[in-house]
Amino acid sequence: MNWAAVFGAAAIIPLLNASIRLAVPTGLAAVGESLCQRAGVLNLSLEGMMLSGAYAAFLATHYSGQPWLGVAAGVGGGMFIGMLMALFSVTLKTEQVINGIALVLLASGLTSFLHVRLFGVTAPERFDPMGKLEIPLLGAIPGVGSVVFDQSPLVYLAVVLIIGVWWTLHRTRFGLAVRAAGDRPGAADAAGISVDRVRAAAILASGAMAGLGGAVLVVGQLGLFAQNVTAGRGWVAIALVIFGRWSPLRVAAGAFLFGFTDALQLRIQSASGGIESDIPFEFFQALPYLVTIVVVVVATARARDDAQPESLGVPYIKGARSS
Amino acid sequence: MTTTVDAVDSPDRPDPGRTGTGRAAGWSSRLGSLGLSAAAIAAAFVLGGILLALAGANPFQAYADMLSGTFGSRFDFSLVLVETAPLLLIGLGLAVAFRARVWNIGAEGQLLMGALAGGAFAIYAPINSRAVMIPAACLVGAAAGGAWGWVVGFLRARWSVNEVISSLLLNYVALRTLEYTIRKPLRDPVGFQPVSETLPDPARLPDVPGLRVHIGLLIGLGLIPVVAYVMRRTPFGFHTRMMGLNRDATEAAGVRTGRLITAVMVVSGAFAGMAGILQVMGPESRLTGNISPGFGFTAIIVALVARMRPVGVLLAAMLIGALTLGGDVIQRTQQVPRVLTIVIQALFVLLILVADRLGRRSR
Repeated sequence: MNWAAVFGAAAIIPLLNASIRLAVPTGLAAVGESLCQRAGVLNLSLEGMMLSGAYAAFLATHYSGQPWLGVAAGVGGGMFIGMLMALFSVTLKTEQVINGIALVLLASGLTSFLHVRLFGVTAPERFDPMGKLEIPLLGAIPGVGSVVFDQSPLVYLAVVLIIGVWWTLHRTRFGLAVRAAGDRPGAADAAGISVDRVRAAAILASGAMAGLGGAVLVVGQLGLFAQNVTAGRGWVAIALVIFGRWSPLRVAAGAFLFGFTDALQLRIQSASGGIESDIPFEFFQALPYLVTIVVVVVATARARDDAQPESLGVPYIKGARSS
Repeated sequence: MTTTVDAVDSPDRPDPGRTGTGRAAGWSSRLGSLGLSAAAIAAAFVLGGILLALAGANPFQAYADMLSGTFGSRFDFSLVLVETAPLLLIGLGLAVAFRARVWNIGAEGQLLMGALAGGAFAIYAPINSRAVMIPAACLVGAAAGGAWGWVVGFLRARWSVNEVISSLLLNYVALRTLEYTIRKPLRDPVGFQPVSETLPDPARLPDVPGLRVHIGLLIGLGLIPVVAYVMRRTPFGFHTRMMGLNRDATEAAGVRTGRLITAVMVVSGAFAGMAGILQVMGPESRLTGNISPGFGFTAIIVALVARMRPVGVLLAAMLIGALTLGGDVIQRTQQVPRVLTIVIQALFVLLILVADRLGRRSR
């Protein structure tokens, strides 16, 4: 195998560039999920939010030819599942794990149903993914410029949003309310915070970000939709929240690690000769999932403090005994 | 103590209005929840009908086609039972896990590992007697599925790694492992497709007399009373139900919950693994990349719709088995994509949650 093709000086910049690109869909969803979990809602519908966003983005781009309209539709598609998640988890106060899993199934069924209904078995024509936008001056910095500042505009948008979530969570009143709702909902309630409203807002924000993640996947990378195109990225994103100890920036760093693994496995697969390789390509396909499991285990095992929000997954019922 | 660990959604604090302490209270609440489930399932079909109409089909005709194509003849009914068999077996295992509030969503991977290990055993083991081969292969499949589930339980017990995440991610690892095995080491050398060779004759499941369904169904049926007994009458079942109600209190009562979580994961994994090898020895007759059209995920719905009750699992498995087959029927007769049935299945669970909530409010 030609290792220079994977790790050589000429290969390393495109590899890191691809890592960032591949990290963005999962990273957006993961950072949104961290906000949602900090508010106390274990949102397992994330994969469904991404899928719904991916499909809305695909449809809008396919029919209008406007990728940015697709991006907006993707946000809406994610928020649609977010609304349902909020209806169940906040209004009806049902078991969050169950309605989350059911919503993933609902999104998977609805998008597949619509796709087969609208396009039959013949795949619709692929459109060109959104192009790169090299930022002037910064893009000219040797090395870093080509890695960071030569990306699709969606990548820059994602970075701004991720920093925005961190800032909101740690520097605003709303962020304080979110953290209170997730740790001590009873105390938050006593302080005049509407726990229900804060949690619903956090779920919708998470839906918007996951939907955007799905849109980036379709509009910014693939240019097509296939059934269950998100392929477990939403579940990986939930794992990254645990890996990042519920802190948005650490979660985003985890997403980069995931993107790097993905970029690396694609690179090694092609460098090692694909189907003829001695190392089975299925191993590389399984690698991002295996790495995710391992990093979650390591992060959980090594954690000194218990960063998990205290009331994560527990419906808040006003007036009920709280722990 | 005959506390009913009730309902699909039981928040951490048990609702005093629902957890009857006497047997009579248990039965009446169980009848009530049966009624709520029936209403929710009916409502899901109504919503499904609206989708059918939007898709340009006549919903009444479509449902009539579904009914006649599933329960209309002995042959069609046999096909429903073939679909029911794996859902019943996996659903029983998941019912145990979910009762403990251990959310195993990795049954798909556990099934695939059971199929892989059991299938490899059936191909290579020099056993010529059906009476030895079939139980032995079942045990190998169950052991492999149980081992795959054990990983999840171990990670949860040792380092509190969330079982939802680890079990789901392991599905992808299992699928790639199976794909590799049938592409290289176990591949049928003369075939064009990446599939294993056909299983030897002693490893082929006979049919249930009079029906065109393999005897795997009988294994599932036989395990219903076993699971019901274990859950109701043994310390394991009692602790499992107690842990589902309140994990901290169970720990405080001296039960080693970590060990129990691992045990529950092994049990549900073993059921899924056995379902996997039965599919290989039954309908599939060889290892292929699509042994399971998502049985492990559908069985989650089965266990939830059944409210984690063993007998309920049988009814739910038949309902959802028939629905899945009905999806194939209406795709043929009404040109409606069969994935519509997945939407209806998701609606089953969501609407049961709604019905429970409304039922609780009116009491």
